[in-house]
Amino acid sequence: MPRLRSSPSRPSRPLLAVLGLALAVVATALRGGEAMTPIPAGDYRPITRATTDPETVPVAAFLLETLPVTNAEFLAFVAAHPQWRRSRVSPLFADETYLRHWAGDLELGPAAPPDAPVVHVSWFAARAYARAHGRRLPTLAEWELAAAAGYATPVGRDEPEFTRDLYAWLSAPTPEPLPDVSTTRANLHGARGLHGLVWEWVDDFDTAMVTGESRADAARDQNLFCGGAAAAATDPGDYAAFMRQALRSSLKARQTTASLGFRCAADLPDSPSSP
Amino acid sequence: MKIPLRLLAALAVLASGAAAPVLRAEASCCHPPLPGEAPLPAASLYQTEVSFRTDADEPFRLSELRGRPVLLSMFFATCTYACPATIVDLVRIREKLPAELRDRVRIVMVSFDVERDTPAALRAFRESRGLPADWVLLRGETDAVRELAALLGVKYKLEADGQFAHSNLVTVLSADGEIVHQRAGLSGGLDEAAASLASAVRAAPSPAFASPAKIDTP
Repeated sequence: MPRLRSSPSRPSRPLLAVLGLALAVVATALRGGEAMTPIPAGDYRPITRATTDPETVPVAAFLLETLPVTNAEFLAFVAAHPQWRRSRVSPLFADETYLRHWAGDLELGPAAPPDAPVVHVSWFAARAYARAHGRRLPTLAEWELAAAAGYATPVGRDEPEFTRDLYAWLSAPTPEPLPDVSTTRANLHGARGLHGLVWEWVDDFDTAMVTGESRADAARDQNLFCGGAAAAATDPGDYAAFMRQALRSSLKARQTTASLGFRCAADLPDSPSSP
Repeated sequence: MKIPLRLLAALAVLASGAAAPVLRAEASCCHPPLPGEAPLPAASLYQTEVSFRTDADEPFRLSELRGRPVLLSMFFATCTYACPATIVDLVRIREKLPAELRDRVRIVMVSFDVERDTPAALRAFRESRGLPADWVLLRGETDAVRELAALLGVKYKLEADGQFAHSNLVTVLSADGEIVHQRAGLSGGLDEAAASLASAVRAAPSPAFASPAKIDTP
């Protein structure tokens, strides 16, 4: 089917070109998706685990993008990879809500400001974006390790200001349109927006083995899930982590939501393997 | 004023050094149908580009399964609880087919044990379980296994004791790689799986009669 193209005859072309270039340069300069920050090795404490599992999972140091991927960045990706445009994407890889807040295949529109985090993207699309940039999605353990840091210390939970901001965000409705990615405050590692903007895909989101209803999960159905019967919460106080866990376990890889975006990660060059 | 976002996007791509053919990108795409082959249906799993290796250590793409309906299950070779039961069920589902249809079905098992299930380990598994030569045993790297699991809706997680917690799903794929049925759990559901497999076989006289739905057609 023919793609709609914006009419070249509206404002003058040279003006558009200059303006576009200027904006592109600014966008590139501001673009957090490109910048990465090292996250030091550490221990991730899963909020639920089998009784046979250790309390903490060692995570090797890695690189994480400082900001979530924006609409403008994702637009550049779909421009270069037509199979990921809204009108072309296979239903195998994205549901019908994919990029629904955009004005068109290659037009963001008022509901999708260029510097707001991209949402309505599926796990498959997020991975494809990361792959196209020579990167990958962070693992659940990596993401949680990075996001556990507060503004000034590695343990945000112990920082009153950090937890206040976190729970203020969790209790507020998602603004429409979403704010600029740079509006959030950097954490200890220099990563912004891990909390306070959108939820984010992780590569192994589907290891969250919750069958749907917490009482049912207390005695896991052996027929549905082999080996998962002994999960138990380690820190019921970490409400935000439970929300993320619940979200992840409810997702399917082709689904998209209005508050779920992503950012990319990468191995450190010569990254030492975890101990 | 409307900002020309397409232009902006194109410039941003150029500015960031990605020499992608932005403006003529529509001409290229990553899933061209092979010559002489009908395009895959929109929901075909065979669009995935990930690749696996067989227990003979040969590279294997899922699209190589095209043409015959598939009974597919994920597993790991050292599994002691669910997987042996699943193997029995795969055999039983196929045996429920009318005799003349049984040879037109392929049984495929894909391991999520990236570390331990090497081709050699899968060969040993085939031998110890006495699996017929026409069963396809596959292993892949984490990336490929995760993508397939996501496509199937299989959740899995390596536990500290070396066992995987995992969904127990047997999937029936049409000859074109569409999910036509999934049997969840370890009990019951064999008749339904066999019935959908039988209709998938009957619906698959040749790839030329694939579903008219197409992908990547401008």
